[in-house]
Amino acid sequence: MSRDGNVYPLNAQESDNEIAIKPKKDLFTRGVFAFGAVFFLFCLYQLNIDYSNLLAGTVDFITMLGEMFPPDVSEWKYVIPAAIESLQVAILGTVIAVVISLVLAFLAAENLAPNNLVASIVKGFATLMRVIPTIIWALIFIVAVGLGPLPGVLAIAVHSLGMLIKVFAQSVEEMDDGKIEALRASGANWIQIIAQGVIPTVVTALLSWTILRLEIDIGESTILGLVGAGGIGWELTRAMRSYDFNAAFFIAMVIFVMIFSVEMLSNRLKLKV
Amino acid sequence: MNMIQELKKRKRLQILLLFFFVTGLTIWSAIGTNFSFYEVFSGFGLISNFVFLDLLPPDIAASGTLLEAILETLYMGFVGMVVGALIALVLSFLAASTTTPHPVVQVIVRAFTSIMRNIPGLIWALILVASYGIGVTVGTLSLILGSVGFLTRVFADTLEEIDTGKIEALHATGSSYFQILAQGVFPQFFPGFIAWSLYNLELNIRASTIIGMVGGGGIGFAIQKGIKLFQYKEVSMAIVLVLILILSTEFLTSKIRERII
Repeated sequence: MSRDGNVYPLNAQESDNEIAIKPKKDLFTRGVFAFGAVFFLFCLYQLNIDYSNLLAGTVDFITMLGEMFPPDVSEWKYVIPAAIESLQVAILGTVIAVVISLVLAFLAAENLAPNNLVASIVKGFATLMRVIPTIIWALIFIVAVGLGPLPGVLAIAVHSLGMLIKVFAQSVEEMDDGKIEALRASGANWIQIIAQGVIPTVVTALLSWTILRLEIDIGESTILGLVGAGGIGWELTRAMRSYDFNAAFFIAMVIFVMIFSVEMLSNRLKLKV
Repeated sequence: MNMIQELKKRKRLQILLLFFFVTGLTIWSAIGTNFSFYEVFSGFGLISNFVFLDLLPPDIAASGTLLEAILETLYMGFVGMVVGALIALVLSFLAASTTTPHPVVQVIVRAFTSIMRNIPGLIWALILVASYGIGVTVGTLSLILGSVGFLTRVFADTLEEIDTGKIEALHATGSSYFQILAQGVFPQFFPGFIAWSLYNLELNIRASTIIGMVGGGGIGFAIQKGIKLFQYKEVSMAIVLVLILILSTEFLTSKIRERII
């Protein structure tokens, strides 16, 4: 009987706790949802979308889709090389970013950096590079080095470098510190620690981040042509500007096939890794 | 012993082959894009000249007009996420193999959303601008298209990963279809729904900063215009605003994610 007496208060306390925790969490969630709903209406009001234009535009768009058929494949001689150029811009940009980030990420990781100041400087630069969109980098490089694929390669390299430094440094920071300490205790220098202790541990993570980044970069490289940085985006801009919808449809199809096949391929690779 | 050595040898060969493959691919790309280190290094002086003399310091006086553009960017990104999430919520139930009414519906929805997802937002904007004209309508619509494409896929994947034991248990107690949805499916789906929507908001805000370059409204238009008119100090001010917007969105979404999930 006395046992029962012990059990009940315990239970009561537990359920008390649950009641105390749950509503608080729900209240926050509800608050976020309520704020989201109000903010959504506010955004709609501020955007001041012309709904009659929306309707007329949709009718236009459907007509345009009809006009797009059939796709005009006659210009494949220009479109396919442009698509290949986009692909090459993405590959080269990603490779450059991976090579540089492999050095800088070790300087940015707090458990490996020579000191905290170096780590925060490298991280700060990485944030700046990562946050400015690729196409804005492309605009900046076009002003500096002129039109063509080169500013595209540089833009992809710089933007990817920012992201890769961040995620590579994170993977290094997540690893077990014991390994580094053991190597340090045995008298290994910085390079030896990285080569023997760090790289074998994080290589899988680095590979999957690299594949993901290449996937994103191939998508980005298709739009760089819109500002004149080479590749298939330029062909699409040209076709749309001259209202050549059939050619535009073919180019859009090529872009879709490019990105879709990369998505499929990287899904396969992810399963393997 | 022999076998281990054999395996090691084979693995080394694999790594070597991969290395040569990647190197070959890189060289092929470098030739195709006429890449030369000489040009990069000789361009380096030009780039730093441009950045330090033309771009910096940002023109604070321009921030008044730019503020309007950056807010428009935020509004478009948020509306795109909310509308996209609502549409994707419905579509994902049709696209997940566990909840779809018919496999044919599933294939059709997956195909449609794959087209939306795999054509970049900027390209959508370029196509839509021909029918809707320049302005925020185009920007918002192309962000909605991208969000629906992305969110339908990840929502459907989340739905497919749901533990079916719970649903069967509810089924056994005689719950109706909607009761099962509300009690069995929704609680497991909710964290994924929130996390992916917040991530989509981050993606949208990034995309919405550049969508103006093809006539979609927002700060991208101001950046494009500034570069065409050589008003580089205004451009750098706009970039600073983009930085602030993206970083504060990342900060807010990570806080909400921590609290809710």
